[in-house]
Amino acid sequence: MAGSFKSRARHFIYLPYLIFLSVFLVWPGIYVFRAAFEKNSAERHPMVEAVTGQYRASFIYSLELSAVSAAIGLFIGSLVAIAIVRLENVRVLRSLVVGYSSVAANMGGIPLAFAFLSAFGMQGLATRLLREINIDLIGWGFRITDFWGIVLVYLYFQIPLMTLILVPAIDGLRRTWHEVAQSLGATANQYWRFVALPILTPALLGGFLLLIANAFAAYATAFALSSGGSRLVPVQIRFFLQGETITGKTNLGYAMAAWMVLLTLVLVIGFQTLVRRSERWRQ
Amino acid sequence: MKPGRLAWWLVIWVVGLFYLIPMLSMTRFAFQRIPVIKLSFNNVFSKWTIEPLLTTFSDSGFRSSAMLSIWLAIATAVLTLLLLVPTMTIAHLRSPRMRRVIEISAVLPFVVPAIALVVGFAGAFRDTIPQLIRSPFGMVPLYVITALPFTHRTLENGLASLDLRTLIDASRSLGASWIRTVLFVIVPNMRASIATASFLALTVVLGEFTIASLLLKNTLPLYLAYAQGQNPQGSFAVGLVLVVLSAGFVTAANRFGKRVVS
Amino acid sequence: MSGNLSFNDVTKKFGTTIALDSFSVHVNEGELVTLLGPSGCGKSTALRVAAGFEAPDIGDVRLGTNSVLGLPANKRGLGIVFQNYSLFPHLTVLENLEFGMRVRRVSKLRRSARVAELLDLVRLVGLAERFPHQLSGGQQQRVALARALAVEPQALLLDEPLSALDATVRLEVREEIRRIQRDSGIATLFVTHDQEEAMAISDQVCVMNSGKVEQVGAPKTIYRFPSTPFVARFVGRVNDLEVEILKPGVARLVGHAQEFTVPATSGIRGVARVLLRPEDVRIASQDDTGTLKGIVKTLHFGGATTAAEISVLGTDHVVRMSDSTRAINCEVGDNIEFVFDTERCLVTAATH
Repeated sequence: MAGSFKSRARHFIYLPYLIFLSVFLVWPGIYVFRAAFEKNSAERHPMVEAVTGQYRASFIYSLELSAVSAAIGLFIGSLVAIAIVRLENVRVLRSLVVGYSSVAANMGGIPLAFAFLSAFGMQGLATRLLREINIDLIGWGFRITDFWGIVLVYLYFQIPLMTLILVPAIDGLRRTWHEVAQSLGATANQYWRFVALPILTPALLGGFLLLIANAFAAYATAFALSSGGSRLVPVQIRFFLQGETITGKTNLGYAMAAWMVLLTLVLVIGFQTLVRRSERWRQ
Repeated sequence: MKPGRLAWWLVIWVVGLFYLIPMLSMTRFAFQRIPVIKLSFNNVFSKWTIEPLLTTFSDSGFRSSAMLSIWLAIATAVLTLLLLVPTMTIAHLRSPRMRRVIEISAVLPFVVPAIALVVGFAGAFRDTIPQLIRSPFGMVPLYVITALPFTHRTLENGLASLDLRTLIDASRSLGASWIRTVLFVIVPNMRASIATASFLALTVVLGEFTIASLLLKNTLPLYLAYAQGQNPQGSFAVGLVLVVLSAGFVTAANRFGKRVVS
Repeated sequence: MSGNLSFNDVTKKFGTTIALDSFSVHVNEGELVTLLGPSGCGKSTALRVAAGFEAPDIGDVRLGTNSVLGLPANKRGLGIVFQNYSLFPHLTVLENLEFGMRVRRVSKLRRSARVAELLDLVRLVGLAERFPHQLSGGQQQRVALARALAVEPQALLLDEPLSALDATVRLEVREEIRRIQRDSGIATLFVTHDQEEAMAISDQVCVMNSGKVEQVGAPKTIYRFPSTPFVARFVGRVNDLEVEILKPGVARLVGHAQEFTVPATSGIRGVARVLLRPEDVRIASQDDTGTLKGIVKTLHFGGATTAAEISVLGTDHVVRMSDSTRAINCEVGDNIEFVFDTERCLVTAATH
């Protein structure tokens, strides 16, 4: 009796943490879905309306932005990671790049928007410098508040994030694998195709997912760049649900939030399956 | 130099410039009283001033939002540690299953974007506990949740690198009470990961915009976003301070983090 | 079709450190040659030069009659096994074994036949679908060996292949390597820092020190007739005694009157050192002359053999003796008389 009581008592220790999560994560999550599925007077169900017309465009815009910035971030971030491993003999390079990457990967929000406004805005320093060498960004239609402008800003944290994910994975490639592959007759290309890339695949896939989700949830930077008006989904949600104002379309806001959760969930599960499959040799 | 190396250096230089230029531009904009159009080689070094920063520092709106952000950051770090350290330590000692449960639950915030979390939070508590939404400190739990994936990972690494069982057995066999064991054996051994987790929590709170923006609380990032219009130089200067500050936190976290591993 | 592998006067520098200094060694067909030496002696560099991972500054490496220096590592046709983790972790045993044949575009049919043969050779039939992390260390090294043999290399290079294994598994894999090497008759270069391993597995041992070859010979020769003080000290145990050379062929321990004969060496006079194996020290019988007196300080019982440390009366010298347990029937503290069998000892100048 005493034993069983004690073993049950043990679990009480986890209660504060579990209750905390339930109240501040699970409950709000459930609330979003409940409110999203609540039928209101409108003819269309909020969950349907949230992905129709202008709102659908909003989602597509957000997803495209995330995917494009993640893809470019993946590519350039990987190049940087390979570069610092290739240039290993320059000692300071590695700690410098990795150190700054961890700073930049955490950057975001308002200050980052300010930095890019002062660099690539209409009156930006970089814009001006580029014009001096006959690269007229503004004349070509580039605006820091447009799609490609926001992609550029997002790259500021996407590239370093990918670098940070990939450097340890590349470090994990043992020199002897390369040497054995060579001794067995593999060319440099064959080594990358048959050995290095398959071993790096889980890190690359996981990184890509992290980058997409990272950009998908980002909000502050785009908000500050465009002074509040933007087509990004989070900005739309804010329009319906900020503060305690009642816009009459609160359900639509919740529905969009619910779609965000669902999409992120699909992404995570999808990628998780891919990662699992690509690293079945690890389990 | 081999052509291959040259190409890799090119990558480093291009990306390095990309990292550097926005920060330099922001610095120049904040602290130099010359519009970009009038900038030339002759006046690159003239009219630099830190006055925008000083003016903003003396602004009462800035002060109150800065103080609020600082207190929120501290409260978040403390609540994170209180919530995670005992729970995770005990799970490590007693129940691998519970450890797994905590591990999975700690990445859940990743699936719920901050915007969804905060609107759900506001909706759920508007009618039940409205004080949570009215008081800025009601945001602390949300900050804890937002930072959870990072703080959990750090503490998990810290715990994994300790042989907790042996430490506790040794301490207990020498006659220490449980409380003494926790305070004088476990916590000192986890100092590095606790420091790292705290720095990460501070960084998250100082930069977080979404939650405060939706709940209309005047934290530092919100102040910056709104002061941008009337006082662009000042708010850019403060933005730069914020960048330097969080860079410092992240670097400190890395330093400590390395000690966790070694 | 295995050729022989030879290093001819190879010199390799890394910055100012000389890793290989006019290094020459020949591995004949069917032979296993060990490079033995302390870490940093250049033995791994020699292997890496042969494999094509490092280019020598001077000298030549030949397979059969052809120089391989012009060939990149992936065209040399050498099999390599490293100390650890050299299996591709994302490929099964089968895929690891097939790797070399796949990049050479060998047909699937021939690949499967060869893999079956190899699995049988290293006695791992039934484990083809396992991933490396599901195998023990010994099994992993056997797969690595089979993988190196899969492409029928001209020579085999083994870089400390046993160092990461547990003591018992180490013996087992050692025998396995030797058996397979004998059966296939492939010229093999084996790098190790473990002298016992080198003695047990090799046809020829090449003892190396700071990039130079100290001595090449059969294991027994290396042990019984070390040609340099370094070899004597590095291979097996040795008594390192300070002596005075009175005239060529006659020596006595410093501070001790008893003279004994040593191999005559020209040019060494006065204070010198004598390097003498413990088994060349024995308890004196009645017909022995030139005996020394000592007290037994310690006894190490090792089953069939026993080792003793004897402190020589009236001096600071301590002499280690090793003999069959039957021959050493004394106790700690006993006074005994002993003699040196000095015909195989090495006399060297005091500074070496």
